[in-house]
Amino acid sequence: MIKAEHLFKTFTTPDHREVKALVDVSIEIEKGEVVVVIGPSGSGKSTFLRCLNRLEDIDSGRLLIDGIDIYAKKIDLNKVREEIGMVFQHFNLFPHKTVLENVLLAQIIVRKRNRQEATEIARSLLEKVGILEKENAYPAQLSGGQQQRVAIARSLAMHPKIMLFDEATSALDPEMIGEVLEVMKKLAREGMTMVVVTHEMGFAREVSDRVIFMEDGKIVEEGTAEHFFTNPTSERTKLFLSQIL
Amino acid sequence: MHFNKRSLITLAVLAAVLAGMYYFFTKRGITYIWHWESIPEMLFYRGGKSAADPSVHLRMGILMIGFMLTLKISITATFFAIIIGTIVGITRLSSEPITRLLSSVYVELIRNTPLLVQIYIIYFFFGSMLRLSAFTAGTAALAIFAGAYVGEIVRAGIQSIHKGQMEASRSLGMSYAQAMRHVILPQAFKRIIPPLAGQFISLIKDSSLVSVIALADLMFQGQQAVARTYYAFEIYFTVAALYLVLTFTLSIATQFIERRLAISD
Ligand SMILES: Nc1ncnc2c1ncn2[C@@H]1O[C@H](COP(=O)(O)OP(=O)(O)OP(=O)(O)O)[C@@H](O)[C@H]1O
Ligand SMILES: [Mg+2]
Repeated sequence: MIKAEHLFKTFTTPDHREVKALVDVSIEIEKGEVVVVIGPSGSGKSTFLRCLNRLEDIDSGRLLIDGIDIYAKKIDLNKVREEIGMVFQHFNLFPHKTVLENVLLAQIIVRKRNRQEATEIARSLLEKVGILEKENAYPAQLSGGQQQRVAIARSLAMHPKIMLFDEATSALDPEMIGEVLEVMKKLAREGMTMVVVTHEMGFAREVSDRVIFMEDGKIVEEGTAEHFFTNPTSERTKLFLSQIL
Repeated sequence: MHFNKRSLITLAVLAAVLAGMYYFFTKRGITYIWHWESIPEMLFYRGGKSAADPSVHLRMGILMIGFMLTLKISITATFFAIIIGTIVGITRLSSEPITRLLSSVYVELIRNTPLLVQIYIIYFFFGSMLRLSAFTAGTAALAIFAGAYVGEIVRAGIQSIHKGQMEASRSLGMSYAQAMRHVILPQAFKRIIPPLAGQFISLIKDSSLVSVIALADLMFQGQQAVARTYYAFEIYFTVAALYLVLTFTLSIATQFIERRLAISD
């Protein structure tokens, strides 16, 4: 489903320093697999995720999504992105639209569904994430946890093949983290291919097939969640885990 | 209709100034014979089109005719200024260096030369080349002038929208244009209503400058009436009041729209 080969990415900061955000990152992710990405701040987790749907361009390497090289010259990027949902730390709901309209917009203008069909899909997904009763509210009237569940529904409405989560629960008050994680777990169990950047090791243990630990733009260690709990090999991983657990 | 405190204070100050001036002219020995009675017929009168026309109809007087033209010029120029400004605001943020350069050259040229000069250049140079009427040339000059300022306002509005909005839209498969149209611009416009309204109030006032190319707007008709009657005070006060009607209505309409759009906050 996802095949990354030797991805490199360097940022130039405003003060002209070079930051190596991705250094020779290679990974293969199967259909239906749930991969959790962990690592300290600035280790390149978000950059990796954002390269998967080309919100960020890579400097070199190759990235195949479903066999399609998405960094090829003549690629219809919008078509690629329709198939890849992304959930952000700060939700990024459209504040000028109601909950229902948030879930409808891309269905109608990108997927070209008619309003009735789109509304049916939207309602069933809002029901699934447990927020149908708020369909006419505006995002500002919702709690963080509710907003994030709407954001997940908005992505799912496109019927993506892959879902990317970038610290989807990091901006939430503790009592709301659970409701969002529940939705994510449900998705994982249904067989969605997921790449999840998170510090929630409970989530990793419960539903992930694989955990990768990144540092300084590199994948330092890779294994099951169990492996990371019981005998992580690198000293850096041990130190990091001791800080977050 | 609700008036806010600031509008009420404005009205109160205006009334006080007028009362003061009246006192000054009547009680302080300056002898000026007022001819207010000749003003109403400059707004509306009953009668024929000309002295030879025997029909009796309610007709617009000279100032009202000018007022209607000012209204028409202002509305047309505002409409095109919004279109120009939106294009300029977007192209100012383009990733294409040439597009970006062209739009900033436009903005800098327009903002750093006097409007009066622009009106003359457009009327005499482009107007004679392209055979434009005074109305077209004058309105175009105003739209091009205001468009540069609106462009800067729109650019600031777009930049004030968090970049997460564009990223969320693009990651849902929207094109840049779709994201702009459905997500970024609606939010940006809502945010820039106050400075936009200020700009359009300026446009209404600036429109008085088109009288220099013999476009018979409110200002021009006022000057004509003064030349004929010498009632300069009465006529210019009336002209000022008529401009106030336009600007004040716009400012109240803006407050109304702002309140309506505040629902999703
Ligand atoms: N647009 C950018 N311009 C310059 N540098 C950037 C940019 N985006 C990321 N970086 C740098 O690239 C490195 C990797 O950033 P990234 O956001 O991928 O880290 P992260 O692992 O997601 O960190 P966090 O846990 O804080 O979110 C960091 O050093 C960051 O400062
Ligand atoms: Mg990050």
